[in-house]
Amino acid sequence: MKPIIITALATTLTLVSAFGHPKDFDFKDPKGVNNATFKLDAPLETITGSANGVSGILTVNAEDPEATKGKIIIDAKSLHVENPVMKEHLHGKEWIDSAAHGEISFTVTGLKNLKQSGNVVEATVEGDFLLKGVKKTISAPAKITLLPDKLADRTSGKMKGDLLVVRSTFTIKRSDFKINTEASTDKVADEIEISLAIAGAAPEK
Amino acid sequence: MKSVPVLLGLLVIIAGGSWWALRGAHTGWTKTSVAIEKIDEITEIPYVEYEKRLVPGIEFPVAFGGVGAALLALGWWRNCKRKA
Repeated sequence: MKPIIITALATTLTLVSAFGHPKDFDFKDPKGVNNATFKLDAPLETITGSANGVSGILTVNAEDPEATKGKIIIDAKSLHVENPVMKEHLHGKEWIDSAAHGEISFTVTGLKNLKQSGNVVEATVEGDFLLKGVKKTISAPAKITLLPDKLADRTSGKMKGDLLVVRSTFTIKRSDFKINTEASTDKVADEIEISLAIAGAAPEK
Repeated sequence: MKSVPVLLGLLVIIAGGSWWALRGAHTGWTKTSVAIEKIDEITEIPYVEYEKRLVPGIEFPVAFGGVGAALLALGWWRNCKRKA
């Protein structure tokens, strides 16, 4: 009986030490994989693009995931569309104005409606979305996957630790963020669908 | 000599149209970079890498057609002028 109790105690202690305290996941990705894509589907034209200048930190406690907090930042200058003229317009003053408002961010204040299955959590992320200097409180569905000890695989063994993968798709309104409100919605849709697929790393200290 | 603008006009339309068709006959706007979709093996995150490549859009056949039509009109006008 004693060995079973000792083994159970040791397992519990290991789990508590691994996940029992908040961990900071850094989303700065030197590989450039972390990305956000956007789509504006208007009756006359569909505009799609992406951004890979992702950074920020999320503090996650596996024992209390509702308390997840942090900020994901996207460098507005990294927004890219395939047409060069459209890209120039996109970064211009009437549209994103990336020179004056270089930061697009989502400040996470907490998670709600959690459904956990193993290392995967589906939840509603609540927080403040900042775009072109306008801040709005929004909530977005997200799928959060914890990949314990997977950092080594991603860094060819140079670093040890966990990975946290966050996927989310949500919609905002161009008019809410004062992005060229004069532009016809037949050509440029008011609704912007944003998809975020990012991985953060928490190296072992 | 009188048919030079007409021949040039036809050449611009045929050569320009063929070049646009050979480069993919893309009916959207011109692209100077093309998205290549990839998936990160560890995190399974889909992402795009952009390759610098010119994909001529609908502006090109329109421009070739316009220049060709202008040359054809010039040839027709010169022919009419000579006959008169």
